[in-house]
Amino acid sequence: MRVMLAEDSTLLREGLVRLLAEEGHEIAAAVGDGDALLAAVAAAPPDVVVVDVRMPPTHTDEGLRAALEIRRRWPGVGVLVLSQYVEKRYAAELISADSGGVGYLLKDRVAQVDEFLDALDRIAAGGAAFDPDVVRRLVARSTHADPLARLTPRERDVLDHMAQGHTNGSIAAHLHVSQSAVEKHVNAIFDKLELSNTAGYSRRVLAVLRYLQS
Amino acid sequence: MDRAGTEPGGTDPGGTAGDAAAGSGTAGGNAVRTAARACAGLALGALTAVLEIAFLLVAVVPVLFSLGRRPLPSPVVAGAGRLTELERRRLAAFFAARSAAPEGGGRALAYLAVRAPIGLLGGTILLLIVYGAYLGAGLMTGWWVTGDYMDGIPPDLWIVAYTFLAGALLLFIAVQGLAGVVALERATARRRLGPSPLDAYRRRIAELRETRAQVVDAVDDERRRIERDLHDGVQQRLVALGMLIGRARRAGDGDPERAAELLRQAHEESRRALEDLREVSWRVFPAALDGEGLRTALETVAERSAVPVTIDHAFPGRPPHMVETAAYFVVCEAVTNAAKHSGAGRVHVGVAEHDGRIRVRVEDDGTGGADPGGGGLAGLARRVAALDGTFAVHSPPGGPTVITAELPCA
Repeated sequence: MRVMLAEDSTLLREGLVRLLAEEGHEIAAAVGDGDALLAAVAAAPPDVVVVDVRMPPTHTDEGLRAALEIRRRWPGVGVLVLSQYVEKRYAAELISADSGGVGYLLKDRVAQVDEFLDALDRIAAGGAAFDPDVVRRLVARSTHADPLARLTPRERDVLDHMAQGHTNGSIAAHLHVSQSAVEKHVNAIFDKLELSNTAGYSRRVLAVLRYLQS
Repeated sequence: MDRAGTEPGGTDPGGTAGDAAAGSGTAGGNAVRTAARACAGLALGALTAVLEIAFLLVAVVPVLFSLGRRPLPSPVVAGAGRLTELERRRLAAFFAARSAAPEGGGRALAYLAVRAPIGLLGGTILLLIVYGAYLGAGLMTGWWVTGDYMDGIPPDLWIVAYTFLAGALLLFIAVQGLAGVVALERATARRRLGPSPLDAYRRRIAELRETRAQVVDAVDDERRRIERDLHDGVQQRLVALGMLIGRARRAGDGDPERAAELLRQAHEESRRALEDLREVSWRVFPAALDGEGLRTALETVAERSAVPVTIDHAFPGRPPHMVETAAYFVVCEAVTNAAKHSGAGRVHVGVAEHDGRIRVRVEDDGTGGADPGGGGLAGLARRVAALDGTFAVHSPPGGPTVITAELPCA
């Protein structure tokens, strides 16, 4: 696939370029700030962009701004945001209505090469990839009217994996249960969370996340 | 007699302080001079007192009229201010007493109202002494020159002795009175004009409150910087390291040669990550400062600087820990700034003792134009202010830049 990178640390940028090249991906652009990324995407939209949140000039959320801009103007381009910390707000902003092809990973996750590449593939395929830590933070929210409180521990596990963007098949493999058991859990979760059972798997993930955010 | 120049319990910033320092040969002359000066001051003070009483009598009506309703009429304020200024000059010239300018017309008026009677008292005592001298001179002239005895009493031994004793006693009391008036003058000026103790406390508290808030700010800034240091340096390296190892594992059995090469790179990267970490922790706080002191820590700064740094360390012993740390960071930041922004070819650092304070001076021959309000320098200024020190940046366009900090060591 065609990938574009925006990461201000030269070291990391080079590392990512090599890693992706070894996997056989095409690096269309590797830049150091949000504006350059937007210019590159405008010139020839890639399949996926990988964006660091903190970039010059202010080192706050330039990368996220650029990512949202790309989501808005080129919905077909997948966006993977790399963040220094789990920022629920950023995750919430990325989960916009009815859009697949987004991801939000902790930067350090890049070192888990397999996970990172896997997330990139899922996003390119119009799916979603959310960092387990992000999901945990969202799921661990405890409000007194917490609908999650009504889930069994097993259902929580399933939701946890689902929110990370895993398919029912891979959830079954992870939890060592049959796929039909997972499907049963998923339906139970949707019933308990009062969500209509949508077909699209990424939409399903996003709906769950959005619901958790609200 | 030399009591006239000093006051019990008071500090004496000039004038008679010189007496103690002067040689014994001139001490007597100095005392006479001081006494004469004080007498002249008292005489002048009596005259100004008359002037002030006249002024107060004229001003009393408009002042009473405006009490609690309006600000004092401006002619009154201006007049009181001028008279007070005159008094301050007189006190400085004749009694070597420094005083602060009053804050507002009300305080000046109150001072004058208290001060005028004291001035009259001084004048009255002077007149008494003059009258006593005139009487004594008349008496002695009658006894031994003209033979025209006062009250027809002849000067036999007992009478002369008795009269001299009484005269000396009265003179002594009068001179003590003069000394007392001088003391009163000084005390009144201090109490009514200068910052009252309460005001001084208030100002100090405001100052402390401000520096305390600034210290908290400065600490937060430092933490932000540490976070950035860790994030931009160490963390990126560790992620890159993880990526290298991850790639090596993926290359694995399929391409053992490439896997080995990637591992070698990873090993190298881990060494760099450690270097970065050491660098960051050193910037956070140089351990040498605690153990070896300022001199050693500054030598390390010089060693690590990209620009040649010369150090002239002439401070005896070791200043208190907090002061030492602040001085260190002043130098460290100044040197870093010079290397980063000024294009300097050399930096000179001077550390010296000055009046019980430590004085740090950093000069570079760069292009100048350093911004004292910039993050690093502003943080230093706050840090120094918190220790009651002074901090100055002198950096005209074109250079050279001189950064000085003075910190009390008590």
